[in-house]
Amino acid sequence: MEGQSYARMPRVKIRELRDDYARFELRDTDASIANALRRVMIAEVPTIAIDLVEIEVNSSVLNDEFIAHRLGLIPLTSDRAMSMRFSRDCDACDGDGQCEFCSVEFHLMAVCRNDETQDVTSSDLISSDHTVVPVDYSESAASIDASDGISGNKKGGITIVKLRKGQEVKLRAIARKGIGKDHAKWSPAATVTFMYEPEIHINEDLMESLTLEEKKEWVESSPTPVFEIDQVTQQVMVVDAEAYTYDDEVIKKAEAMGKPGLVEINAKQDSFIFTVETTGAIKASQLLLNAIEILKQKLDAVRLSEDTVEADDQFGELGAHMRGG
Amino acid sequence: MVLNQEELQQLPDDNSQNSAMGNQLPNCPINYSGIMNKQLLTAPIKSATDKFQLLPEFLKIRGLVKQHLDSYNYFIETEMQKILDANNIIRMTKFPHIYIRFLKIRVGKPSVSVDTAVENITPQTCRLTDQTYAAPINVDIEYVTSHDAADKRRKNNFCIGRMPIMLRSHSCVLHGKDEAELARLGECPLDPGGYFVIKGTEKVILIQEQLSKNRIILDTDKKGNINASVTASTDKIKTKTVIVMENEKMWVQLNVFPKKVPLMVVMKGMGMESDQEVIQMIGRDPRYSLLLMPSIEECSKNGVYTQQQALEYLDSKAKSSTYSNNPSEKEGRAFRILTDVFLAHVPVHQNNFRAKCIYTAVMMRRMMDAILNKDAMDDKDYVGNKRLELSGQIISLLFEDLFKTMILEVRTHIDKLLEKADKAKHFDITNCLQGKPTITNGLERTLSTGNFDIKRFKMKRKGMTQVLQRLSFISALGQMTRVSPQFEKSRKVSGPRALQPSQWGMLCPCDTPEGEACGLVKNLALMTHVTTDEKESPLISLCYSLGVEDMEQLSGEELHTPDSFLVIFNGLILGKHRRPQHFATAMRKLRRAGKMGEFVSIYVNEKQHCVYIASDGGRVCRPLVIADKGISRVKDDHMEELKDGMRTFDDFLRDGLIEYLDVNEENNALIALYEGDATPDTTHIEIEPFTILGVCAGLIPYPHHNQSPRNTYQCAMGKQAMGNIAYNQLCRMDTLLYLLVYPQRPLLTTKSIELVGYDKLGAGQNATVAVMSYSGYDIEDAIVMNKSSLDRGFGRCIVMKKYTVICQKYANGTSDRILRPNRADSSSRQQILDDDGLAAPGEIIKPNDIYVNRQSPIDTRSNIIGSAANLPDSKYRSSAQSFKGHGGEVVDRVVLCSDKNNNMCIKYIIRHNRRPELGDKFSSRHGQKGVCGTIVQQEDFPFSEKGICPDLIMNPHGFPSRMTVGKMIELLGGKAGVSCGKFHYGSAFGERSGHADKVETISATLVKHGFNYSGKDFIYSGITGCPLQAYIFMGPIYYQKLKHMVLDKMHARGNGPRVMLTRQPTEGKARNGGLRVGEMERDCLIAYGASMLIYERLMLSSDPFEVQVCRECGLLGYYNHKLKTGICSSCKNGDKISTMKLPYACKLLIQELQSMNIVPRLKLAEA
Repeated sequence: MEGQSYARMPRVKIRELRDDYARFELRDTDASIANALRRVMIAEVPTIAIDLVEIEVNSSVLNDEFIAHRLGLIPLTSDRAMSMRFSRDCDACDGDGQCEFCSVEFHLMAVCRNDETQDVTSSDLISSDHTVVPVDYSESAASIDASDGISGNKKGGITIVKLRKGQEVKLRAIARKGIGKDHAKWSPAATVTFMYEPEIHINEDLMESLTLEEKKEWVESSPTPVFEIDQVTQQVMVVDAEAYTYDDEVIKKAEAMGKPGLVEINAKQDSFIFTVETTGAIKASQLLLNAIEILKQKLDAVRLSEDTVEADDQFGELGAHMRGG
Repeated sequence: MVLNQEELQQLPDDNSQNSAMGNQLPNCPINYSGIMNKQLLTAPIKSATDKFQLLPEFLKIRGLVKQHLDSYNYFIETEMQKILDANNIIRMTKFPHIYIRFLKIRVGKPSVSVDTAVENITPQTCRLTDQTYAAPINVDIEYVTSHDAADKRRKNNFCIGRMPIMLRSHSCVLHGKDEAELARLGECPLDPGGYFVIKGTEKVILIQEQLSKNRIILDTDKKGNINASVTASTDKIKTKTVIVMENEKMWVQLNVFPKKVPLMVVMKGMGMESDQEVIQMIGRDPRYSLLLMPSIEECSKNGVYTQQQALEYLDSKAKSSTYSNNPSEKEGRAFRILTDVFLAHVPVHQNNFRAKCIYTAVMMRRMMDAILNKDAMDDKDYVGNKRLELSGQIISLLFEDLFKTMILEVRTHIDKLLEKADKAKHFDITNCLQGKPTITNGLERTLSTGNFDIKRFKMKRKGMTQVLQRLSFISALGQMTRVSPQFEKSRKVSGPRALQPSQWGMLCPCDTPEGEACGLVKNLALMTHVTTDEKESPLISLCYSLGVEDMEQLSGEELHTPDSFLVIFNGLILGKHRRPQHFATAMRKLRRAGKMGEFVSIYVNEKQHCVYIASDGGRVCRPLVIADKGISRVKDDHMEELKDGMRTFDDFLRDGLIEYLDVNEENNALIALYEGDATPDTTHIEIEPFTILGVCAGLIPYPHHNQSPRNTYQCAMGKQAMGNIAYNQLCRMDTLLYLLVYPQRPLLTTKSIELVGYDKLGAGQNATVAVMSYSGYDIEDAIVMNKSSLDRGFGRCIVMKKYTVICQKYANGTSDRILRPNRADSSSRQQILDDDGLAAPGEIIKPNDIYVNRQSPIDTRSNIIGSAANLPDSKYRSSAQSFKGHGGEVVDRVVLCSDKNNNMCIKYIIRHNRRPELGDKFSSRHGQKGVCGTIVQQEDFPFSEKGICPDLIMNPHGFPSRMTVGKMIELLGGKAGVSCGKFHYGSAFGERSGHADKVETISATLVKHGFNYSGKDFIYSGITGCPLQAYIFMGPIYYQKLKHMVLDKMHARGNGPRVMLTRQPTEGKARNGGLRVGEMERDCLIAYGASMLIYERLMLSSDPFEVQVCRECGLLGYYNHKLKTGICSSCKNGDKISTMKLPYACKLLIQELQSMNIVPRLKLAEA
């Protein structure tokens, strides 16, 4: 027990990285780590979101709770979140939102004076802290506009409410730090998912016994473009193994064609391909780093409690194992 | 103009598309005229898809509740005048030259007169201010007031009362308004109308189903005797005539005869003295005469040979009338019964009974047919034998009754005035008519209570009107199409409850409630129309001119010649026709040409040798496309014109392309479902198969793939789903309103959904559902929900409740007052009050918060010395209203208005936002309801490698026994819809006509977008990160949140109120009641042997009571507090008194029994 080490040296290889999108490989580890990472990214990486709304005037069609809920779901840039305090842990303030350590104050004032309906969007929110502002999608939106030629909302931002002539919304909102476990609005992740990396082996000999027609038919049986027929050699190639969704269609097709074993597909148990999309609150890369940081903190918390007797009772063998390891 | 051009530019595109679609057929219309290519005719023609366009067009002109509107309009425009004409004069009894004559009647604009000023009203103002939406009934009158008969005067537009106006009828301000105008009036454009606003509440008059009037119905009674009955209904009288065959003899049953009388005597009484004539009239088949023999013998046995004898005989049998003792009246009684009561609908002109005799003979003949051949029996449940009574007809009955009462009242009033000494004095007779509240109040009361009491017909019916359910848009709509039965619901009969084949296309086969009213309460199908009365005389003369031989000119012998058919018009025998088919086609041609009303039905009954023509109101009918030799008359070019807006549905009717068939005439038609199915015999083609379903069933996607009860369940549940009520939902003041925060339109729609407007006022959300087992908290249909989805707004709802506080004025001049609150004192619970003493909108109201700081005077009876307004504070006590809620409610709106007694009325709308919690009820659109079993964090939820994480998880055990395949297809279609960005359709029976996407095409779409064709996904567990062993069927399904929420039901109590009488805890949540240990629970405890627990539950925690029991006499005594002993009141001492504990209910029982002279004695033994 002493000699054997369970330590693994996982490797991360980043394939694609944008501000709000990341695709990377995680190798040499198992599903528990991959899943822990995923879970932490969804539920435990802190962000800042509007948590308290004081409504002064609201003559819009949506009621106060409705607007408050919508405000809460607006992603705010949360690069500061890791260093901020939770409101409940903050001893520098009494929770009225004026505290620089735990909260950010927002103001929204909108009156419609025209005959046209006016959109109140997240860009109308005035922050007291320039580092915590509603995520600005206008750049990415503009690029989409340009490509699709659709003239969208010029102002950008997320619509909160639409106002008619004479309607008014005036409110003060306080954003606080929180985690996705408490409410989904604090989750920085739009999508965090992983898949096992597939290993695809085509039995070349068997494949060659198929006619071109049959090959085509077989290739088309996969709902995702995994295979392709080389134009020149007329050989079936794996073009995008990761497009494979473990649907077994090709295997079933091969069996139906009377060629079982035409292809062999295995999931690599130790390598994962992650796809991470963020809400824009933090960068995808930061999300990963924060997640690892938090995971480490959590493990530390377990490790640090090793001396206590309760921990022994609580974790039983695991505690002993951790001490040993 | 720019728009138009754009449209025009688009149009050729459409055309080219169409021709592209149709190019497998050598292009259609022109080829038809050429040589009939058999293959071309039988080839499936794509027109099925095209014909659908008729439906929106049909609904556009008709609306969803046209039945109600039509019937109401008919009443206002025609029936009212008829009623007036029938009772158009009030003539004084003593001075017959003094009279009031009514000339014209009309209903004005909806308005209300406030202090002599007339103010127009809109439905919305009525709803908000608890008014009745009514318009003045104006009449033109002509009257003679003085004794000078020549002094005729006229008054026009004289108001005799106020008529409640049906919304969207011709008299309503909303009629013909477009969307913007409706919005300005505060009305929802999708609201169907067809209801009334009475004292601020919306009332619907339910459609009543009745057996048709004036028709011969053959039936068997309990003894198995065959009888023929006619319920005759005329303007004056309603009678029921039954001819029954008992002991081989025929008898007549009439209400006026206490016992049944021999039929032949009645015939003789009507002048048919010769038996041979009777036999000739019935028909000379020897079997008939044989059957008639015993009846003839019975007649002669009674010694009745002449009309005189018959009448005398009947006189003796008639019920002796209690009120008239006039002997002359008595003598003619039988004669009058025969003219007025017996078969009352057959007219007798100048004592000519021939028509009645023929009618009776026909009844006899049909009975004999039925005896000889049981097939000739009528089916009471057959829809063709039913009539639907709609609001117009019902109100018309009521109005007639009220109008007559008013006339009577006015007459007696004026008579009294004239009798006075100063009768010569000139007085205005119209004053007596003015301001009579009879009609106004009568209509208003009847409509608001629903208790119809029509004196003339001794008709007393309860529950005719209902408050319009605004639970969801669909529930309101469903209520408008509901058909309620006449007979009682408790009867355990299966016949009327069963689905009748004749309901096809008329009544929805799915939409019926469960339980006692199952199958009795029905709903109209989407295209059903209910007819209104039509003028009879032109139709009758038309019949004669088309060769109907008048029966007056026919001998009895000629009546039933083998190849001639009787022509029966609205239950009256007109005569016979020798070429019935020819006659029927001629009539139909005239109808199609628009020469008579489109709803007249011509029906040839080969079996009965009759041609039935019906123009009466209340028949259900539906439009069908006419086909000539199997070729649809509706061609592509017609549909093109329809698309271009050159043609309306009415044009189709007028051009004879489409016609309405009622249930009876359907029997003469051969209706093909699709044009492709048509054979040369086909006479009609259905417009769209899914129109056999009603509004509620139309919401279900792929209902034809479901087990049928599931569709029925969904029809009931769709009405409980939360969503949007109407566009004006936030301006309404409903007592209870459930709204969804983020309602969506279903991803998988049907054509009905679009027609009805459910896509604009949805009641549900598209949830991504994974069909798998998860956590064990999903047994028994429970669903597992994703917490993050709930955080993001899934299933969130707003519950708005109205609280009303009235600031009462009292008889002695005092009144309640509202005080400025004392907000400084935090214990006063008045923090949310404004300076005016009312809670301010937007305030968060906590339980026990005061929302009106009201005070009432202590003394409200006796007269106050001095000014009532300046009462000292000591004369008031607080009657502040405190709020009882769950916490988290917000004051939404405060409305002040004055109620009908001119008291100030403060209405609060309190809003509560709720997110789904454990135990809230959800349902898909396939009758699959379930409660939320647990709420799970998103990271624990399974996910696919695409990153899709379901919103809820449903247990697969819900499928095998329910067989809701439609739900699975909905999931597939929804998933395909999401991935390709296009709404998919799942209309009933729509696969063939292209209104429902086929599973194959859906699968192809799925595969195209990288999903498995079967809709299954490869899923990873969110807890371990490992892939699940099975592929999971996952995709979006439209889920409805039902109004049943735990928050409203959750209840527990420790101590609490008790009922006075029994001293047991109260019952029910509203009274903070206890939870009952019932009989079954008690049985369990007994079986378990937990006697102390039973003792504790049933007595100690309920109604323990200490009694003094006398061991001597066993009666209950009392405890004398002075002597500190128990005393037996019958033994008059306290020697042998024991104290014991009893349930108070037991003591009560003993005493109640004693009060009934039963003496229960308790015999005590040492324990």
